[in-house]
Formats: sequence, C-alpha cells, structure tokens
Amino acid sequence: MKSVSRWAVLCAVAGAALVSACDGGGGGGTAGSGDGVVSAPTPTPAPQGAPQTEADSVRLAKQASFGPTTALVSHIQQIGAAAWVDEQLAATGSSYADMTTAVRNDFCAAGDNICTRKNFSRTPVAMRFYADAITAPDQLRQRVAFAMGQMIVASEQEVSATAGIAAFNQIFLDNAFGNFRDILKAITLNGYMGDYLDMADSNKSAPSENFARELLQLFSMGPDQLNMDGSPKLDATGTRIPTYGPDDIRGVARALTGWTYARVGGAPLTDARARDYASPMVQVASKYDSTAKTFLGVSVPAGASQDASVDAVVDAAFNNPSTAPFVVRHLITHLVTPNPTPTYMSRITAIFANNGKGVRGDLKAVVRAILLDPEARAVPSANSGKVKEPILLMTSLARAIGFATDGYTFFNRDSGLGQPVMRSPSVFNFYPDDYPLAGSATMRSPASKLLNTSSVLRYHNFVYDWTVSGDATRGEFTADSGLPPASGTQPLWSAWEAFGTDTDGMIARIDLLLFGKTLTDAHKAALKKAAEAITNADPLLQARKRAQMMLYIAGTSPLFLVDR
Amino acid sequence: MSLSRRDFIRLTAGTGAVAAFGQLGRMSAMAAPSGNFRAMVGIFLFGGNDGWNMVIPTDARHAGYLASRATVGIKAAALTPLTNASYALHPAMSALRPLWDEGSLALVLNAGTLFAPLTKATYQSRPDLRPSNLMSHSDEQAHWQGLRPRETSIDGFMGRIQDRTAATATPSLISLGGSNLALLGKQTSALVLPSAGTLNRTGFDNRASAKNDAINAFADGSAFGVMTDTAGRDVKSAYDLAVSSNGILTAASNVDSYFVNPATGAALNTDVARQLMRVARMIEVRGTLGHSRQTFFVSQGGYDNHSAEVGGGNNDTGNHANLLGDLALAMAAFHRAMQSLGLGENVTAFTMSDFGRTYQGNAQNGTDHAWGSNHLVMGGNVAPGGIFGTYPDPTLNGADDIGGQGRFVPTIAQEEYIGAIARWHGVSNADMPYVFPNWATWSTGGRGPLGLFRA
Repeated sequence: MKSVSRWAVLCAVAGAALVSACDGGGGGGTAGSGDGVVSAPTPTPAPQGAPQTEADSVRLAKQASFGPTTALVSHIQQIGAAAWVDEQLAATGSSYADMTTAVRNDFCAAGDNICTRKNFSRTPVAMRFYADAITAPDQLRQRVAFAMGQMIVASEQEVSATAGIAAFNQIFLDNAFGNFRDILKAITLNGYMGDYLDMADSNKSAPSENFARELLQLFSMGPDQLNMDGSPKLDATGTRIPTYGPDDIRGVARALTGWTYARVGGAPLTDARARDYASPMVQVASKYDSTAKTFLGVSVPAGASQDASVDAVVDAAFNNPSTAPFVVRHLITHLVTPNPTPTYMSRITAIFANNGKGVRGDLKAVVRAILLDPEARAVPSANSGKVKEPILLMTSLARAIGFATDGYTFFNRDSGLGQPVMRSPSVFNFYPDDYPLAGSATMRSPASKLLNTSSVLRYHNFVYDWTVSGDATRGEFTADSGLPPASGTQPLWSAWEAFGTDTDGMIARIDLLLFGKTLTDAHKAALKKAAEAITNADPLLQARKRAQMMLYIAGTSPLFLVDR
Repeated sequence: MSLSRRDFIRLTAGTGAVAAFGQLGRMSAMAAPSGNFRAMVGIFLFGGNDGWNMVIPTDARHAGYLASRATVGIKAAALTPLTNASYALHPAMSALRPLWDEGSLALVLNAGTLFAPLTKATYQSRPDLRPSNLMSHSDEQAHWQGLRPRETSIDGFMGRIQDRTAATATPSLISLGGSNLALLGKQTSALVLPSAGTLNRTGFDNRASAKNDAINAFADGSAFGVMTDTAGRDVKSAYDLAVSSNGILTAASNVDSYFVNPATGAALNTDVARQLMRVARMIEVRGTLGHSRQTFFVSQGGYDNHSAEVGGGNNDTGNHANLLGDLALAMAAFHRAMQSLGLGENVTAFTMSDFGRTYQGNAQNGTDHAWGSNHLVMGGNVAPGGIFGTYPDPTLNGADDIGGQGRFVPTIAQEEYIGAIARWHGVSNADMPYVFPNWATWSTGGRGPLGLFRA
C-alpha cells in the first residue's frame, strides 16, 4: 500500500507526460517483491506545490550536475525541480565529436610527443570531459553519460586511440536521453570496445567469450535474476538464480563472430596499422559462425545474417527482465543513492520497462523519474548519502569556487586521486556498485572502495592545493597540454574577494554550495574564527585568503565528502 | 573417495619433501620460524591468472598439454623442469627457481572456489552445489576473498582474521593493493597504504589554532547520517595512521636493496615489486608497531588475457610472460628481503586469482574465463619440493572438463589452501569457522588444510 501511495505522489509531481506510465506501470513494477523486503520508511517528499527549498535545489544540483554553483542553484530555485530537469533533458553542449577522426597507428613521427598525446591518449578527450563538466550547460546529459561510461567500460589502459575513446564516449552523450537499446547496439559494434573486449577479429574457429560475457554480466542484465525492486530472485531453496549459463555465453560469442575494425583511408582489412577505432566494425564473412545458435531462450537459425545475429544478441540483452532493474540500480546509484529503497527501485524499473507509451528503455523517462521521485527529493534520512567519487570531488570544489578551465589541470590530477576518467583499471570500473559500507550489514557505498588511508590524504592535499595554495598563479593551473587551444585554468577568486570583510557572506555561500545549508551555528562560528585569524593589509588578498582557508576546512570535511 | 584423495595429496607432498631432502641435501630444510612472529602475504592476481601456463607438466603429459592448449601452449623447448619435479614454471619465472631449489616454494595444483567437493559428474547433476556465477570476475573475486561461494559477502577472510587478532594502534592487516573485500572485517578495518609516495598531509601542523579548531569542528559526521558518520571516522583514522605510517615509508631501509633484478642489478620498479617492498618495510618494523602477526594484501592486475596472452613461436613471450616475469622477480626479491631480516621462515606469501582460464586457447592467442587453477606458496617454512593436489586430465571434454574448452573442476578448495596458511599464521581451531564460514565442509570427511608447511 505504501508503494501505491508514493506512486500516486510521483504521478502528481511528474505531471501529464507520465500519467499513463503511472496507470500502467505500478502493478508490474512491484511484481515479485512480496518477499517481505519492502519495509523501508516512507520518505518525506516536499509537500506538493510547496516552494522549492534552497536545500533541495542544492541536493538536485549535486545529483544532476558536476556540482552546485550559485547560478545553478538560484536557477533551480527559480523554476523548480521538474522544470529544471526538463530543461536539462533538452540541453546540449558537450561533445567529443570533433575528436573522432581516426588515424593510422604510425601516424605520428617517432618522438613527436604532442602528436602522440593528441592521437594516442585519453588526454584531449579527458580535458574536454572536465572542461565541459565545469562549464557546459548540459550538466545532466554529462552526468548520465559519465554514469553509463562507468557501467559500460572501455579503458585507455588497454587501447589508447584518441578517436576511439572520443567515439566510444560520444555514444553515451548522444544517447544519454535516448534508448538504452541504441547504446547496447552501438557499443557492441564500436571498434574501440571491439578491441578492448576482443570482439574484433573473434573467429568462429575459437570465438572469444570476453565481450559476450561482459555484455550480459556488466552492460545489461547482471549475473543474477532480479525482481523489479532490484532484489535477487530466489529459488525454492533461497538461492539466487543465474540469468545465463556457460552455454548462453558460448552462443552469444558465436553469434558475435566475424567482425573486424573498419580501416583508415580505405586500407585493406588485413592492415593492422590502420584500425579505425572510431567507426563501427565491419563484417568478415569467413570468420562468422553461420550455423544455428541458441542463447537466453533465443534461437538464431542457420544461415542468419551477421546483422541478424547481432540484433538477436542485443535484443536478448535489452529485453531480459533483469536488465531493467540492473540498469536502473546503476543509474540511481550514480545519480542519487547507492541504497535506494525497493519501492523507489520498483517505480523507476517500471518506467524502464514501459515509459507509458509502450517503449522500453527510454532513458529520458527513466532519468526524469529518478530525479523527480519523492525519494530523491526527500529530506535526507539516516541512511541517505552518497560518497563523492574523486572526479565529483574535483569538479564540485572547482564549481563552488568558480573556475574557467581547458580541463588539463583536472586530467593531471585524476590518476593521483584514483579515478582517471576513461582509464578504468578494468572493465569492472573503478569500483563496483555493490561495494559494502564497512561496518554495515546492509548498506552499500561504492565510492568507499576508493576511500582509504592512502586516498584520504590525497583528497586532503588536493583540496589544500586548490584552496589555500590555489591562487591563479599556481603552476598546475598555467600548465600547457601542448594541445591547442590550451587556455589553462583560472580559479575565479574575484567573486570571493568581492566579499571583502563580509565573512558571514562567504560562510553563507559555502554553507549553500558545499553543504546545502546544513551547517550548524558552531560550524559557522568555527569557520569565521579560522578566517578572521588571517589578516592582511591588502583587503582583496585578505578576503581571498580567508575564503581559501574556509573552503579548505569545508572541502576536506566528511560533510562535503558525502552528498545527501 | 575423498579420503583417498586426501591421502594422495599428503603422500604427494611427503614424497616431494623427501626427494628435496635426499637429493638437494638441504640440511636447513629443518629450519623453523624464529620466535612467534608470523606474516601472511596474499598476492591477488586480478583478472584471472592462466595458472596452466604458470605451472606446466614436463613429463609425458606435456604432449596432451600442447594438444589441448592449442594457440597458447608453451613448447617443450622453452621449458626447464623444476629440480626433481615433473613440472616447470613459466619460462619468464626463472627468478623463482633458486627458491624452489632451496625448498622455499610449493605448488598447489587445480585449486579453486568450491562450495562442496565436486566431480564433473556431481557438478553436472547438482547445480545446487556449485559456487554461484562461476566464470564471473566480480563474483569469483568475492568468493576468493569472502569465502562464501554461494552467498554475497560483505566481509573478507583477512578482515575476519584481524577481527580475532589483538587490536593494535596501527592495524596488523595492511593492504598495498587498495581497498578490497578481503580486508573488510566485521569489526575492524585495514590500513591501506600507497605503493608509491608518502602520506604527507599538506599544510598541516597540530599546534593549537583557529584553523585546527575549525577542522575539528567539521570532523564529526555523526549528525549527518550513517554514511557521513562512517566517512568522518574513516578520515580521522586515515589522518592518525598517516602520521605513524609516513615515518616508516619515508625512512631509509636496507630491505629496499633486495628489490633488484638479479640478472641486471636494476631496481625493480613494477607496482607489484613496490608493493612487496613496502610489505617488507612494514614487517621490518613489526616490533615498533606491536605486531606479532601481520596480514598483507598485495595485488597485480592485467591477467584477463583474452587475446595476445602469448606471442607466438615457443609461446614463452607475450602479455602473460611479462606479468609473470614481474611477479617472479618481485616475489623472489621479497623472499630475499625476508631472509635478510632473519624472517625467511616466518613469512609466507601465496597467490590468489579470480579463476583459472580455459585450457584451450582461442583464435586470438588468448584464453577465456574458467575455474580451477594452479597457485604458488612461497616462504622458508613451506614443505620443500611440495606439490599439492592433482593435475587435471588435460583432455578437452575429459574427466575434469565441464564445458569442452578445458574448464576444470577444482580438486582443492580455497579453504584447504588458504586455511592451511591461516592455521600456520595462528588462527585458532576455534576461530576457523569464523574466518572460513564453510569450514565444516572442508575440515571433515577427509578434507582439511593442505600440509603446506614443514612438520
């Protein structure tokens, strides 16, 4: 009953576009959840029609952008959560499309490090990632793409072609609000992924199972059959039920044989130096297993075309019932919370299954529902919270301070902080979605895998460097990637200098942007004392130094590390 | 049936030990650990190490090995058998040969994740006895580290060992390989150190100041939910531990000098070598830390070689050769460093990995995910010449192959393998079921810890 009443709330909030989903999806969404696990406390949604609170505007900015800014928070405040999300669903701006021109792997002259950096590293794409994260308007599109790229992983660690990295990640930007099936199809045939997980040149004589397995395990349905609320289905003995077996993997692997890289400049398909990682792979009929294949309850008849085999695989992965909760859990985990209640899961999974117009996998509807769900918009409860991953730590701090950047200084920092974007250590991403919160029997805290004795000090030193030592003249901000247009990084301290001796004004801004107005009077008093211990005859310098000190104390605190 | 297998394992080990005694004339084989100190060093080979190319039969079975391994088999010409054994290590692992010859290396054959003893027949007839999600990296890593092969683990065996170890200001469970499930205890947490760099806290001093007052005012997350509370305690703990650890990491130490390539004299700078070098340092200062037992987690990644695992010709080059070469150099250096501290017999290092790989190579000179695999145990207290377990029938679709590509049912459970090391390390009989949740299965009915160590 609880879930019904909350469903009704969502429908009221979500508005007309989702009314039919509300009618059709609720019942199916809770199917299989009668295991007694649906007992989470009901979140307290903002009263309908109540004005958007500043705290919730900040919370939404943390969930849906790379960090609150004063402009963003006041904009959300002005137009309300739903209108802002809809605005974001239509926004564009970020792109890697201009970096997708593939080159031969002998394109650069020996010793031409700039050429190598430009064409055979993540550098340009990662710089763009950070530059767009800091200033591009389509923040939500980027956040969803970032989340997708942490579920469907390919990494510079194994394949360094810049055009491939750009093309692969462009799939997520293009389809962040598109259909999940299109993502699955595109990444299956993408040449960069083809190399990373060895589908390229997989031969019927002994097919590689690598991509086949990860497509099912990581990119779509996951290893265990799931109920729509995200809980595992259990058999009569209380045991989890696998979604696929070794024969399914084998069948999928056979269906995906017979593909190789397109080649640069029309080079022959045998030219190993001319792999085009940015284009879809092409067919090599002689390596394709054209015999009959069976997998996941699907049969592909003998003689079926390669395209038909690929579509059969993509459809089987896309349509598996577990794919909806598996993908939804990942998105909620990366946008809102790693510990969604079963009813929150059920509501969103139902929308993945059917957006209300009979369409499965509509990510626009899914993302909208995730963010406007009462559980996402509720005042935090004891179990609310999401540890910032290092990339969000960097971007959130920078956006709170105010930065202009070409992204290079972020790129220079991300490896040391344990999260080099587009360079995951393995296909399992930097951390798994189900990494447990230490000391808790039930809660997950994925980004806590990156939080340990070693990384805490690195986080600290990073924040110190960019605040107390973060003047515009700092060496790392002027560093030149050698890749035009290299504009470096400019922290915009002038906005803080403008506060002058108004320490309380600075504190109010820090309280808003970093903490969503949750600081206590004791916190504020302590910040003020630390700031006003700093004096300087130059009033602008004094203001800046005071702001830097307070941002350091705030930015290294556990309260900033956990979004809630 | 399992009784006879156990007897066979023990017999094999005993024979190996006797052979090493008699023919190598190693009087020091009687060496026992000096004092009570013990350290175990688990080296996790992420991605699924191809153990079938790490330990290779050199007798008549090699022909069957080559026939079944197809694209990835290492030719006989590249192999040198270990002294008095019918197995060779991968040719890239020659740095470990002297350790074998001195009796400080043991082989464990076809070990893996098991919920219950299985044969090919019972594997096929009893899905309810299989570990869940076999062949999956994440699940099998969790099974190795959590030792609950049919359940989800939220804690791991190393953390559980520490739960039952006397508490010290600096945890005696230390990872150089990042945070991992193995390290999570029910009550305790590990010290996680970087493999390079220090733990300096920029701009911080502990003199009384308004700044430090403010830092302290922001340190407590308990009013902001369980996640913030936990993060606050993690951060505070990290700051405290960094102070003590940093002194160790920045001090000069003689153990570093052992981390060189014996052939070239060049310093080893691989990540796995740097990790083991820091393990050596933390062992060196065990007294200062008040540690009578230490547990270490070390990692090496890159073993998921679905393609280009081997480089053609004799197949003794390629990605896998590079990884194993780095591993062998680092392990041998670590052992020499331990001997320099007089702790060769007090420290045992051992390998773990997601799973073994398909015996049959694929068309891209790589291998796919499988199950049972071979492992190495290193230390001055291991049974000299020890070879534990039985090598599987290498025939594809043969007696041990569950799928046709050479995915072999393990004959040794992780509990029998790691359990032996844990017992040696000092885990009491009473604590074994806590550390190894499935211990009842692996300590009865003729199953039990391997006789990895000298009697």
